[in-house]
Amino acid sequence: MKVRVNLYGTLRQRFPAYRPSEGIEVEVPEGATVRDLLSLLDIPQSQGAVVIVEGRVLKAEDKLRRGVPVNVLQAIGGG
Amino acid sequence: MKLIRVNMSDKTIRVEDVPPEYRGLGGRGLTSIMINAEVPPKCDPLGPENKLIFAPGLLSGTVLPNTSRVSVGAKSPLTGGIKESNAGGTMGAALGRLGIAAVVVEGQAPEGELYFLRIDQNGEASLVPAQEYRGMRTYQLVEKILARYGEKTAVLCIGPAGEYKLAVASIQSSDTDGHPCRAAGRGGLGAVMGAKGLKALVVDQRGKSPDPVADPEAFKEAVKEVVRIVKADHMNAEVMPKLGTAGLVAPVNSMGAFPSYNARRGVLEGWENICGERMAEIIQERGGNPTHMGCSQCVVHCSNVFVDEQGKYVTSSLEYETIWAMGGMTGIADLDAIARLDNLCDDIGVDTMSTGVAIAVAMDAGYKEFGDAEAAIEMVEEIGRGTEFGRILGGGPVAVGKHFNHDRVPVVKGQSIAAYDPRAMQGHGVTFATSPMGADHTAGNVVGMYLQGLLDPLKPEGQVEASRFLQIAMAAFDTMGQCFMASVALLGPDGGEAFRRLLSAYLGTPLGPDDFPHALGVRVLKAEREFNRKAGFTKEDDRLPRFFYEEPLPPHNTVFLISDEELDSTFDF
Ligand code: SF4
Repeated sequence: MKVRVNLYGTLRQRFPAYRPSEGIEVEVPEGATVRDLLSLLDIPQSQGAVVIVEGRVLKAEDKLRRGVPVNVLQAIGGG
Repeated sequence: MKLIRVNMSDKTIRVEDVPPEYRGLGGRGLTSIMINAEVPPKCDPLGPENKLIFAPGLLSGTVLPNTSRVSVGAKSPLTGGIKESNAGGTMGAALGRLGIAAVVVEGQAPEGELYFLRIDQNGEASLVPAQEYRGMRTYQLVEKILARYGEKTAVLCIGPAGEYKLAVASIQSSDTDGHPCRAAGRGGLGAVMGAKGLKALVVDQRGKSPDPVADPEAFKEAVKEVVRIVKADHMNAEVMPKLGTAGLVAPVNSMGAFPSYNARRGVLEGWENICGERMAEIIQERGGNPTHMGCSQCVVHCSNVFVDEQGKYVTSSLEYETIWAMGGMTGIADLDAIARLDNLCDDIGVDTMSTGVAIAVAMDAGYKEFGDAEAAIEMVEEIGRGTEFGRILGGGPVAVGKHFNHDRVPVVKGQSIAAYDPRAMQGHGVTFATSPMGADHTAGNVVGMYLQGLLDPLKPEGQVEASRFLQIAMAAFDTMGQCFMASVALLGPDGGEAFRRLLSAYLGTPLGPDDFPHALGVRVLKAEREFNRKAGFTKEDDRLPRFFYEEPLPPHNTVFLISDEELDSTFDF
């Protein structure tokens, strides 16, 4: 299935052609998890990536759903 | 360690050794413990009995990076309780290099008199008449001060708002470029400074007499390890240098917790136009600086220089809280307007957070439309001109609510909330309600725990514990003079261990795991709560405004769920 991924923080720099208005479309297997997505996007753990869907922070083993856009951001401790 | 006591009533200046009970303290720990000991809790914050204390952190002036914070403490005219507000820039390091633990401003100059307090390269303090600077805005003021005393001068100053003694008046701090764009913004400390008759604290940055380090070799080694940990943190290695604190706009909106339109909604329409990612792009396109060193001895560079379409300087360090207060709360999704408002606030000398929220309350009451940037700019200009409405606005959100008879006023202890709605981030509600400072953005900021998936922001479980842990840790770190970015990176077990080793070497006393941050943080909070109790605060003051309990916040449509009993258990030590 295809999922729309919006990238934030400095993660956009990893995808030089990234356009905020479009995000990127990623093909993932049915039942793919957050962990699968991050490894597919080649985002290492050191980047502090956080996946937020419909206002909720997902856990690594949570499954992605068809047609629901995914926001991938970075954890920040405040400011 | 020495204290400089300046009496504005009789113009005497005394230099004292730091008494034993204040040793090992700096920053917030020192200002709060001194105020609790020396200021009558029921005094008029704008009267001669109040004291205004400037204290660099304990480690300011050492080689440890990111330690140029200066804490300013007093009884607050905004909250009526104890207040510590700290600022970056150059002042913390300048005082630290002179071995000055605190400058204590007492008494009150007769009405109509105005002074600079100048401290030269040798640490000699003097009061300099400053009549000709009356009413001057801060950018022009600092330019004149640097021209008079030299580029290597650190300045803390007030603008017209401080002279008017307004409850949202800030104390502005000069950054590494000599711009008064950093602020001890919260709690109306600029009004206390204005009431004392002090326009500016002017300190030579070239001091060479810092307090000695007990074990210099061990200290140097420990600094290396602390710096390694601070720089390894992805937030400091990646996000802060590229986006600054504005990097929070995207996560907090994505979580539906960005208080917008005076906290009617948790997502701002058009937030993508004012997020850190967009800000960095704009700054880059126009030739500004997205990775700016705002403070002396910084290795992270969370600051930025925002420029207009012609590439001309508008403001420095457009920060998350300002973007929220001036953009989210007011519905102004336009970075150019927000940057102008930020510059205007710095120049007039008002807190961007309290001022933005005061504007939002006025808009919510129907005075102007949400999203009307021109109206917002004109409102802040009115503060600068000291018009009747300007003075109401300068009284803060509560004064504006009273004026319009409007009860949706998001404050605790009179001070506005920060950029995290307690209905969608429950732990922030605990911190806002219980912090002795009133609602606050650094005193116990839980957002990192939510983003790391350690805690569910919408459920009441675990929030009190999280807030308690962070409030204690921050009270301790605010005593050291380190900025928030560095401190947050040291909250884990490795960071704590490395920092204890450093502090042990500095003090020459071995510290155990309970000594720092826990015991120190508790000591500071106890002093602050004791002062507030004596000033008349009760547990009823540790509550959020009614509407957070009753009015669901879209998109999650949740309310604040933590019971009064649980709130009261936050500080059961
Ligand atoms: S990280 Fe930011 S706040 Fe901290 S010292 Fe550097 S510029 Fe100042």
